[in-house]
Amino acid sequence: MNNQKKAPKKLFIAECLQKMFFGNLFGRMRGEEHTVENERYDSPSKLAVKRFFRKPLATTAVIVLLSMFLFVFIGPAFDPVDLSYMEAAHANVAPNMNMMKLPDSLKDGAVSITSNGSFTLGLDEEGDVHVWGYYGTTSKEDRVDVMKIPQEVQDANIRFAAAGSDHCIAIDDKGKVYGWGMYDNAQYSHDGTLIAMCIKQPTELLNGTLNVDNVKQLICGNQVTAILMKDGSLYAWGNDQTGAPNMQAVMKLAKENANFDEIAFTNSGMFALTDEGEFVTGGSAKYDNLQILDENGATKVVNIFDYIGTRKIVDIAASGDSVVLLTDDSEVITLGTATKPPVLAEGEKIVEVSAGTRHFILVTDNGKVYAWGNGKLGQTDVPEQLTVAGAVDTVIASGFQNYAYKDGEFVDAWGLKGYVFGTDNMGRDIFNRVMNGGRMTMTIGAVAVIVATIIGVIIGCISGYFGGWVDMFLMRVTEIFGAIPFLPFALVLSSILQASNLNEDTRIFIIMIILGLLSWTGLARLVRGQVLAEREKEFVTAAKSMGVSQRRIAFKHILPNVISVILVSVTLDFATCMLTESTLSYLGFGVQLPRPTWGNMLDGCRNSVVIQNYWWRWLFPAIFLSITVICINVIGDTLRDVLDPKSEVEK
Amino acid sequence: MGKYILKRLGYMAIVTVILSFLMFVVYTMIPFDRARAEVETLKNAYKNNPEGFQQRYEELRKEMGLDENIIVRYFGWIGVAPINGKYQGLLQGDFGYSYIHDRPAQEVLVEPMKNTIFINLFATFLALGITIPMGIFCAVHRGSKRDTAIQAGTIIGYSIPIFITAILCVWFFAIVLGIFPVSGMKTPGSNYTGMKKFFDQMKYMALPLIVMTLSSLGGMTRYVRASMTEALSMDCIRTARAKGLREKVVIYSHAWRNALIPIVTLVIGWFLSIFSGSIMIENIFGLNGMGLIYINSLTGKDFEVVLLLQMFYVIVGLLGNLLIDIAYGFVDPRIRVNK
Repeated sequence: MNNQKKAPKKLFIAECLQKMFFGNLFGRMRGEEHTVENERYDSPSKLAVKRFFRKPLATTAVIVLLSMFLFVFIGPAFDPVDLSYMEAAHANVAPNMNMMKLPDSLKDGAVSITSNGSFTLGLDEEGDVHVWGYYGTTSKEDRVDVMKIPQEVQDANIRFAAAGSDHCIAIDDKGKVYGWGMYDNAQYSHDGTLIAMCIKQPTELLNGTLNVDNVKQLICGNQVTAILMKDGSLYAWGNDQTGAPNMQAVMKLAKENANFDEIAFTNSGMFALTDEGEFVTGGSAKYDNLQILDENGATKVVNIFDYIGTRKIVDIAASGDSVVLLTDDSEVITLGTATKPPVLAEGEKIVEVSAGTRHFILVTDNGKVYAWGNGKLGQTDVPEQLTVAGAVDTVIASGFQNYAYKDGEFVDAWGLKGYVFGTDNMGRDIFNRVMNGGRMTMTIGAVAVIVATIIGVIIGCISGYFGGWVDMFLMRVTEIFGAIPFLPFALVLSSILQASNLNEDTRIFIIMIILGLLSWTGLARLVRGQVLAEREKEFVTAAKSMGVSQRRIAFKHILPNVISVILVSVTLDFATCMLTESTLSYLGFGVQLPRPTWGNMLDGCRNSVVIQNYWWRWLFPAIFLSITVICINVIGDTLRDVLDPKSEVEK
Repeated sequence: MGKYILKRLGYMAIVTVILSFLMFVVYTMIPFDRARAEVETLKNAYKNNPEGFQQRYEELRKEMGLDENIIVRYFGWIGVAPINGKYQGLLQGDFGYSYIHDRPAQEVLVEPMKNTIFINLFATFLALGITIPMGIFCAVHRGSKRDTAIQAGTIIGYSIPIFITAILCVWFFAIVLGIFPVSGMKTPGSNYTGMKKFFDQMKYMALPLIVMTLSSLGGMTRYVRASMTEALSMDCIRTARAKGLREKVVIYSHAWRNALIPIVTLVIGWFLSIFSGSIMIENIFGLNGMGLIYINSLTGKDFEVVLLLQMFYVIVGLLGNLLIDIAYGFVDPRIRVNK
């Protein structure tokens, strides 16, 4: 019973599919007599499809357009856009894939690997420094480019090296302090133009040397630097107003007590650990509050110093926006925006905590790696083989990458490799935005064109078929709509929408409808003209004389002849609507940032600075938009050629 | 012909009235209270007198006629009905007031209008000078390799939106070659006169003109080629060739005259549509034209100027249609006779 029921159904579907691909889609359904064997003549639509795919240009266009569709409609499912995301450290990064390319000489041991931005500075055991990743600068000066290590640094035997957000500091075995990279905000030297507002590098470090064996720690932050000596004294300098507003206070404490054990920089703060295990904030109240779960499971806020109580802090690590404290009873306290640390397996002890710009890495005594924090760029995706016991003994987290070592040998690295298409001024991945923006642009184009086609076909058909006063009235309406100045009117309407407090999705939907409502007139006229012409043809007269009903004549005889015109027009209109959306968004009246579309991605690229220095920001959206529109136009043009019987005769 | 033009003019008047009403309705839909904005500037004067402030607001609303219903306001704007007992509207020469520039709206538009017309005329002639010979060439050598290449180029040309063309041109001409300034109208701080002023201005206009010409090349060449192809396949051309006329005469005298009919409509339509089309180009290059004024008024909430410009675009569009119809009549005697 079941089988009997299923069989005819399947056949019907197969038949439909066959009709779709091998013609007769728009023609009359011929029922049983339609079989492949006895069909000697190709139907017009099958012929058209054949002729279409005989043209290499059109075939290529179809393939490119299809892959574009797949890219923008399936891609976002794997990599959705995060509208609130931004990463100031990665603003305007050029397309590159070498942010995690560890130089070979660092593979058998590294003294330090540090990163605070898009580039990473590594110091190997021979005392040579290496820089990899990307650093963008518009300055012509050589020393500003951190990627170009100064010759004197290359020649010296470096003992300490650290990278800040836009500068690097190194100390050689003779105790000389070197600096390169940006210097405007007193990152190093006294040449900076804004140096009056910053803390200057101590003169004794600039001209003289320090006792290198006495240096405990060299650390750089966001335009700030600190050198901690073993005797507890502290040198710190840089742009304290942005990099560490509490720097003066911390320096004062260091001078009074001389008991600092470790320094850590967030992007906007300086924190320290004393040898008595105290957490030093220097008056910064940023991380004073800690959210914990009380016994009932509800969250409550407690003061961090009350929470620590008499316990001692044994380690401190700071990412860009969070601080992690490790207490002597092995509790990991995360302060700030980072997520809660993972729960360790029973009996494991924490060996070290290390911090990237947005994440933390923790290694236990049996060599297991745990990661937490913000892992949007893959920083916290620890490779499977490293989560087993004994896999590593050191993990250096720096910036957005992690490098794992075992017995002094490099094992594996994970994190951000780079950006294929670069990033924009907010540090957002352009590849992701091109993909998601394409979906928005194409959706708006498609909906607008569907609205326009439905209205156009209905009005055109009614007008052409009925004629008389109906035709007269509808055509006047069409002309009035046609006389509306398109771009100015669309601009006014969307600025009205902007002023009203609609939510963004509704607003975008209304924009689609408006675009459709303003662009149906051309198609209506076209369809009307075509229907008028077909209505007078002999086959309609013949059908009439044979007593075929009005409805049948309209839909089975006239409409199939008009459909080719509609098809061509729809294809070309789709391109036009996409362009209109891009134009509106480009002028700032369409889809608003941070939601991406190809048009508003280009909006940010109107000034010559961006055009000159950040070519990837305009080139990729421009290429994608242009290629899509070119493909649609090629397809539309070819369709017009192959659907028009006259064109074949001509050739 | 005269009767035909009269009929078209009458019809145009009706459409203008309908559209002006539509524009006015859209204008009133804008959630922006001009009286409120005006009275906000007086807030300090009424600091200790909130009642007086409210009263002044009510007065302003009454003065501007904002409390009347939309039909009365519309007629008041046109100038056929009194607002507060005064006839003050378009028909009386009151085109609205620009609150940004603090001047009557029509005065704000004089200088930009000159610029826009200049750019458009120049770009039209430049584009026609290139596209007509190219289109004819393509049509005559249809199917040849050069034709195919130009065809491929034109598809790319009319597919690429004008702002991408602009970015590419700025990158190439202003940044790589460094021969033209990126945007602006004249060298800042300069005070040239005579020829020097003209050349300085041309230097700044060059890039927008190049972009406008480039972006119209594709569409126009295809159009010229299509109409020329159609003309070349006519019977009269076969006859002309059969009676032994030289190919040049056949093409330029017989075929070209026939191809001209659709091209004339294109040129007029294109020239007029460019008034609203140059919104884009003027904004990209910061040219002081009507398009820039339009966007600035929109973002600056200077809606009376927006309304006036809308009406201007409507009338230009309708006039364009009328001109196309009349030009058809002049170019093609068959149409003249039929009417």
